[in-house]
Amino acid sequence: MEQITVPGTLDSLSEISKYVLSAASAARLDKKATYRLRLAVDEIATNVIIYGYEDAKIQGNLDLQAKIDDSSLTILMEDNAGAFDPTTKFMLEEESINLPMEQRAIGGLGVYLAIQGVDRFMYERSGDRNRNIFVVHLH
Amino acid sequence: MAFDVTLEMENTTATITLNGALDASTAPKFKEEIEKVPTGKVKTLVLMMEDLEYMASAGLRVLIYTKQKMGAHTDIYVVKPQEMVLETLVKTGFDQSVIVVDNPPKIEKV
Repeated sequence: MEQITVPGTLDSLSEISKYVLSAASAARLDKKATYRLRLAVDEIATNVIIYGYEDAKIQGNLDLQAKIDDSSLTILMEDNAGAFDPTTKFMLEEESINLPMEQRAIGGLGVYLAIQGVDRFMYERSGDRNRNIFVVHLH
Repeated sequence: MAFDVTLEMENTTATITLNGALDASTAPKFKEEIEKVPTGKVKTLVLMMEDLEYMASAGLRVLIYTKQKMGAHTDIYVVKPQEMVLETLVKTGFDQSVIVVDNPPKIEKV
């Protein structure tokens, strides 16, 4: 599918979701896998926008590219915020799952839902860019 | 993707109806409604979720904020969440801190 570039602001989240939903539909992904993939990309994009761009006072874009082959749908998402590897946060968030709601820190859980929601999640740092890769197997 | 939230108050019950997609860009609207709920008076918070098609962790963050603001004595009911929204609540253990039901609780008469 054609790549899209959106500004790194929260207003772009709905466009990102639309892109992921149309890729999922093109790959004939079922309803549940579609929802989980949308959630995964949305959560990581939200982290990049809030922590990587807004909090760091950096303006930037997000590039999304969907690739479909016989066995999988892959979404590549790139940004030029500071290096951040979501997989390093996964364990921490997983540990907080058992705490009662009123004792939880406000924050977290997004990375947990993202990584847990796809068949394979990969992070790469290439030059000054973060690349988050989401893979869903097609059955 | 659109998101709507409405708040109704009756006696000691506040009912919030959520509609559409709740993500980080729309969660502030949900939080604004929660902020309008008077903490001392309200004993039951009912979240009508039948028409909530999507909820990201930003929505969960508002639920944490709600629980902390209202205090442990306030019951939070989640009415008819859609299958995938419920999956997120279960995966993150939030289903242990709210009461998931098919019908809203009877409103207590004062």
